Amino acid sequence: MKKLSLLFLLVIALGFSINAQKKYTISGYVKSSSSGEELIGANIVVRSLSIGVNSNVYGFYSLTLEEGTYDVTYSFIGFDEVTKTIELTQNQQIDLELKERVKELDVVEISSDAAEQNVSSIEMSVNKIDSKTIKKIPALLGEADVVRSVLLLPGVTTVGEGSTGFNVRGGGIDQNLVLLDEAPVYNSSHLFGFFSVFNPDAVKNVKLIKGGIAPIYGGRLSSILDVRMKEGNKKEFTGEGGLGLIFSRLSLEGPLIKDKASFIVAGRRSYADILAKPFLNENLKDSRFYFYDLTAKMNYQINEKNKLFLSGYFGRDVFGAGFIFDWGNATATARWNHIFNDKLFMNLTTFFSDYDYAFGVQAESARDEFNWRSSIVSYSLKPDFSYYLNNKNTIKFGGQSIYYNFKPAQASFISGGEPNDISLPEKFAIENGLYIQNEQKLGARTRLLYGVRWSYFSYLGNGIKQFYGDTIAGLTKPLLNTEKFDSWESIANYNNFEPRLSIKYDIDETSSLKASYNRMTQYLHLISNTVASTPIDLWLPTTNNIKPQIADQVAIGYFRNFKKNSYEASAEIFAKDFQNQIDYIDNADIFFNEELEGDLLSGDGRAYGLELYVKRNRGRLTGWVSYTISRSERKVEGINLGNWYPNRFDRLHNLSVVTSYELNPKWSFSANFIYSSGTPATFPTNRYEIQGVILPHNVNQSRNNYRIADYHRLDLSATLTPSKNQDRKWKSEWVFSVYNVYSRRNAFAVFFEQNDQNLTETEAIRFSVIGSFVPAVSYNFKF
Amino acid sequence: MSKRLNNMLLGMVCMSMMACEDPIDIALDEGRSQLVVDAFISSDMSLQSIRLTNSANFFLNSAVPAVNSAIVNVEGPNSIVYNFVNDKQGNYIYDPSTKGALDSIGFKYRLQISYNGEQYQSFSMLNPVPKIDSMTYAFELEELDSKEGYYTQFYATDFGGRKDYYRIKAFRNGEPLYPENPEFINLSEDAAFGGEGADGLLFIFPIRAAITDEGNPFLAGETSSVELWSLNRDAYSFLQQMITQANNDGLFSVPAANIRSNIVDISGSTQEEVLGIFSVSSVSRNSIIINP
Repeated sequence: MKKLSLLFLLVIALGFSINAQKKYTISGYVKSSSSGEELIGANIVVRSLSIGVNSNVYGFYSLTLEEGTYDVTYSFIGFDEVTKTIELTQNQQIDLELKERVKELDVVEISSDAAEQNVSSIEMSVNKIDSKTIKKIPALLGEADVVRSVLLLPGVTTVGEGSTGFNVRGGGIDQNLVLLDEAPVYNSSHLFGFFSVFNPDAVKNVKLIKGGIAPIYGGRLSSILDVRMKEGNKKEFTGEGGLGLIFSRLSLEGPLIKDKASFIVAGRRSYADILAKPFLNENLKDSRFYFYDLTAKMNYQINEKNKLFLSGYFGRDVFGAGFIFDWGNATATARWNHIFNDKLFMNLTTFFSDYDYAFGVQAESARDEFNWRSSIVSYSLKPDFSYYLNNKNTIKFGGQSIYYNFKPAQASFISGGEPNDISLPEKFAIENGLYIQNEQKLGARTRLLYGVRWSYFSYLGNGIKQFYGDTIAGLTKPLLNTEKFDSWESIANYNNFEPRLSIKYDIDETSSLKASYNRMTQYLHLISNTVASTPIDLWLPTTNNIKPQIADQVAIGYFRNFKKNSYEASAEIFAKDFQNQIDYIDNADIFFNEELEGDLLSGDGRAYGLELYVKRNRGRLTGWVSYTISRSERKVEGINLGNWYPNRFDRLHNLSVVTSYELNPKWSFSANFIYSSGTPATFPTNRYEIQGVILPHNVNQSRNNYRIADYHRLDLSATLTPSKNQDRKWKSEWVFSVYNVYSRRNAFAVFFEQNDQNLTETEAIRFSVIGSFVPAVSYNFKF
Repeated sequence: MSKRLNNMLLGMVCMSMMACEDPIDIALDEGRSQLVVDAFISSDMSLQSIRLTNSANFFLNSAVPAVNSAIVNVEGPNSIVYNFVNDKQGNYIYDPSTKGALDSIGFKYRLQISYNGEQYQSFSMLNPVPKIDSMTYAFELEELDSKEGYYTQFYATDFGGRKDYYRIKAFRNGEPLYPENPEFINLSEDAAFGGEGADGLLFIFPIRAAITDEGNPFLAGETSSVELWSLNRDAYSFLQQMITQANNDGLFSVPAANIRSNIVDISGSTQEEVLGIFSVSSVSRNSIIINP
């Protein structure tokens, strides 16, 4: 705590030392005039002074200037610029609406953010995508998807199609904090990762933060995926939707009270099961396989100073036929934006987030059944303050408290009519964080962002503290002793200081150098012993046996824009050091194990790489090329003879080319090409026979000793916008797409098995999740 | 059961996504050959056999080489040594009609193997097994993953107040139901999948019903038989790993890992790794004729 208050004092001192003349503040919201949506990251600039700010994630800005008259220019990409002459003799609240620019072909822009921010902003290792861009990318089965778009960004990899989640700069999938309107989503996938839970029609913008992570964020090691939902049109009632091969979408938005309150409701449901129904015989009629989700948000501007938001998500995947297997997230967020004065802005968030999966088997008689449910539930309160001290310093401070309830297994069975409960005990925990940061301009060229986050975690009762013996390579640790704790008693607790620092230096108008360091701590762990992550992975808290994960990252980057910001480019190198990474003894039993902690191992990790990125923002041809060369490894006592080995998601080369071409108002085309090195896998050297079964064996005891074949894929799509659209409110488009155009059988994994026919023969089997090209057509509409 | 779930889900993903599996050629490193011990013996009066082989290159694609030059015996209570005699086919056989069955419940039997100048040993305790009280059959219609026919179940109750591990073997007209298919090895921890609530109960539903081939259920007139084998934790865990590693495919596959043996090299010098398992079991049996 000492360091924290010291820093705070330092920051305050910095601010006031230069505070000599009479100053006033202009503040307010920047919005779109057509929908009333707040604009995130709009530019508010006084050109004569070269002073400017950006609106925050709620569209709020604050700019402090000396007394006088100024031309203040408000701009946002895709919108007409507005310049207001402001006579500044007192503090003023100016809420400004910008008008969407009429679409002209040669000025198509794909970024929602002013392109020059690539160079001028302090942020590095950050990628933003708005829903327009997401919808242009050729997608599997024609369905635009947030997470699959994120996979095309530099520094992001995946184990393969059908794997849940994504990997950022050599981090595990549980090391991404995925936020939907500030509520964490514990599993972001539908259908094992083919689609994500975010409905693109309800998404406003998406920001992936891979490095230089500001103190405002905490709780995960590798990235923040910040997904912000639309607020809903405040001016008029509109709708949007689509009919696709696998699911349909519909979203409705409109004002509840004009210019004051609005809502958006968006839903999706897959219907493969409905289409299949007529073809299934009588006994299969009750088989189910579908997913659905519902996203809703409401906001209410109480007055100039107060705004309320309520948002929620509910979605499930359901599979069943004699058995039932389902999983899903539910989140609810309430936020209150309050302007204390023209310099102090507060956002208070409270959320609930739940992820659970279940399966069960039922016999005909109902005298016998087996049911299982596992869940993680969290509740949180999170106040965040922005203090616009002066036009050189923006201070943010706040905190967060999260209460967790883990239910690893609520299981019961009925055997011969007799019910039995075999549930594993619940676990409880609380995670607190406090942070303070200052973004400071030092002279005309240098900008700093510095601060610290202090995190505290307590594993709470009621519960049982387990004490284990030492690790012997390959063996489950023996449970030596247990101790019982009552409700709210602390079983184990940890706290960590997480310093963060970013520096930007402008070389000239169009190029800058940036560097950052961040330490992150993570107290939640996703326990997964499958090759790819799946919906049945288990979230567990830090305990006396499982230590908090810690990562330190350093990144350096060169940022440059060309041709009046038509092109933006960056080159970044990063290096990351991980502590307390969880691994498992060979053949660990994680599925139903009260002594699971005895099967867990702890080790170190490291990742490093170079990311190159060029993006074209303007013109008929837009898109980006991203190339990453990186390595992600780990070292765990008892695995691979204690030597470093590559992580399952390690891919040396990663190339994504994403392009979009507007031929004319009627037709536009998009193409993706992806190439990445194969992922590592453990292959056997020998075979042996027990009870007639051939078993694989690796005499060298090595882990991930081989690479499966490289991955590459081309996707194409064409969008037809009928010309009759222009004169009517109903706007429609047809999207024709082909995924995996040249039918490459990309290996997801290679398995070694006995041949079914000839049992003495063993063979290597390549498993491709998508084995051919996948054509699709979808119809999208807007009204 | 999770295996079955895996296959079902994989099936669904395949239907929708055209997933595919095809054999490919891969050059693997060649590893040195190691001794393999396949020793599942019981307290029965029938001939007891232990099989010794060598491991081979993964793509050997013929029978693994038998080991006939070892000396194998099992030590029982009061230092009785039961000699297992080599048959030149890699099998070492003991006839219980000579020195009696290995039937001292609660005794830790000791396996001793002498091979290539190394001494190996392992222990396995003979655990008791509950009797199978009864069996039933019922006719069931076709479902998504099962065909129409007669399905049988067995009824037995786990011992209360102690941790037990079992393997359930199923037979059709006296023949093993699923020869050499690890996918159908049926195991039970107490009466279920472990956890405190599973102790001392009737074997739970999916376990007690997993004795019928769902792709080819019983016909009228056929005999369904069951054997319940008691296991040590070592052997239970070995079989569990065997199920996982021998058929480790699909979206839910786990990292390939070596299966833990319970046999160790006790010679002073170099510690040779040995593969396989030593297990002594009590067995109970029952059967039913489908006679509708």
